[in-house]
Amino acid sequence: MRNQLATRRLRLRYSDRTVVDGLDLALPGGAITAVVGPNACGKSTLLRGLARLLDPTAGSVTLDGADLHRMPARALAKRLGLLPQQPVTPEAITVEGLVRLGRHPHQRLLSPWSAADQQAVERALHRTGTTELRDQPVDRLSGGQRQRAWIALTLAQDTELLLLDEPTTFLDLRHQLDVLDLVADLHRELGRTVVMVLHDLGQAARYADHLVVLHQGRLAAAGPPGEVLDAELVERVFEVPCQVVPDPETGTPLVIPRARRIS
Amino acid sequence: MNRRTVLCCLAAAVLLPALTATALSLGQVAMSPATALRALFGFGQGGDVLVVREFRAPRVLAALIAGGALAVSGRLLQRLFRNPLASPDVIGVTGGASFGAVLLLALGASQLMIPLAALGGGLVAAGLLGGFAWRSRAAVGRLVLVGLAVQAGLAAAVNLMIVRFPAELASSALQWTTGSLYGRTWTEVRAGGTAVAVLLVAALLLDRRAAVLDLGDESAGGLGLRPDRARLQILLLAIALASLAAALSGPVGFVALAVPHLVRLLAGPPTPGTLLLTALTGALLLLGADVLVLHLLPLRGLPVGAATATLGAPWLLFLLTRHDRSAP
Repeated sequence: MRNQLATRRLRLRYSDRTVVDGLDLALPGGAITAVVGPNACGKSTLLRGLARLLDPTAGSVTLDGADLHRMPARALAKRLGLLPQQPVTPEAITVEGLVRLGRHPHQRLLSPWSAADQQAVERALHRTGTTELRDQPVDRLSGGQRQRAWIALTLAQDTELLLLDEPTTFLDLRHQLDVLDLVADLHRELGRTVVMVLHDLGQAARYADHLVVLHQGRLAAAGPPGEVLDAELVERVFEVPCQVVPDPETGTPLVIPRARRIS
Repeated sequence: MNRRTVLCCLAAAVLLPALTATALSLGQVAMSPATALRALFGFGQGGDVLVVREFRAPRVLAALIAGGALAVSGRLLQRLFRNPLASPDVIGVTGGASFGAVLLLALGASQLMIPLAALGGGLVAAGLLGGFAWRSRAAVGRLVLVGLAVQAGLAAAVNLMIVRFPAELASSALQWTTGSLYGRTWTEVRAGGTAVAVLLVAALLLDRRAAVLDLGDESAGGLGLRPDRARLQILLLAIALASLAAALSGPVGFVALAVPHLVRLLAGPPTPGTLLLTALTGALLLLGADVLVLHLLPLRGLPVGAATATLGAPWLLFLLTRHDRSAP
């Protein structure tokens, strides 16, 4: 299977603290993986490490067996795209202008804009339903439209692997589902491998094939949501007493926190 | 390139030769702008050719080159730091150029060495900036703060030297540190012009990287750009342009700060097209200011830097009030 990301005894730290410590992970290629865990458990840091934005202080990250940190930056950017949690929207840039920047890894210093570049941009706009918005300034869009424009940028990059850091944060329920359905389509129709950080356990269980649960920088559980997500795990990792019931729509696990008893 | 950018570029392309011809025609030996332009290329009466080519052209061309270089330097820095007040004057490059030039004056070196000293001083200031700020992986705010400190320290050193100088040296040093185009030679103009042209091409080539950097370090990294390296490239380019400009014209203030704002107002957000427009506008502005101090103002012999600063201060205030009004 291609597009397999794996970590071996990975340690990631910022100057003052270790965030991820001794992590052994294998993320299946051709699948949707959701990374969940309580705040400050290292989810986003792990994603930064997987995208090589952060160098490990120990251990390694591999993509199909090759050390990620020895690949040329541009070569990696043709295989792996990243949507950060809070990307910076340049002032007054249009949707199409933004999406065009996704072609950066495919362009050389002197190469002109090619027909292939334009096609990739058109596909990305079409796929995310932003074709009609192409001439609008991104900073005037609604939250949901803006997130779709950013996803279009990562799609224009034309990578088989997509890393999405909390793509549904700050969106209302309708737009959360739009984004997750889009991700599901990218996986089902285009065969993209997706790794995304999510907060909502029910959504993670519904949309992901593979669940990675982090707790204090270490792996708490990993596997298909139906096998790993149970009340004992949620109570241990999130410190929330709960029951886990089958989702009435999909049969995937749904976490129902216990009501607070006021004595 | 959008339509407004094209229109503005066309307007600048018409204004530039017109203003150049006017600047070449003004002076004690009066002639028409058309005669002056012909004389620049060696046609016409021998006297006119001599006056235009030997006395006027180096100064006019130096103004165009320095103006363009300063404006582009300011635009690169403002975009890099995401700070509308960033400019070579703020991050210490201009102070370094003054320091180098005045130090050489103090050591009694010949006038010919001064542009080189300015260039060297600017690069040394940039080195100081890098040494203090780069180690911390260049948090952008920190770079600006360190730049301010470098600039303040160098300006203090320059003032100290001027105060200690004998009177006639002090006045020529003061003239230089205000920014003046007096006494430029063809050698300086040729060397400076070639270097600035090369750097402008480099700036155009790096523009794509600057656009990717605008997305923030994480997105830029995800797109295969190494943000630190790209920032360093752009920073070096901006420093080299500002140092070259300082070598030609002394530390002229406000052009680097004001022109990028003017271009944004006229043509919108940054594109390769507006980069070109920035260079043209900077060239026009500095030459215009020089014509003003040389021929139009009653107070003759005013250094051009005094004029740009006098024009620049109200412009800055205008920008601030405009900013206040547009803020919610």
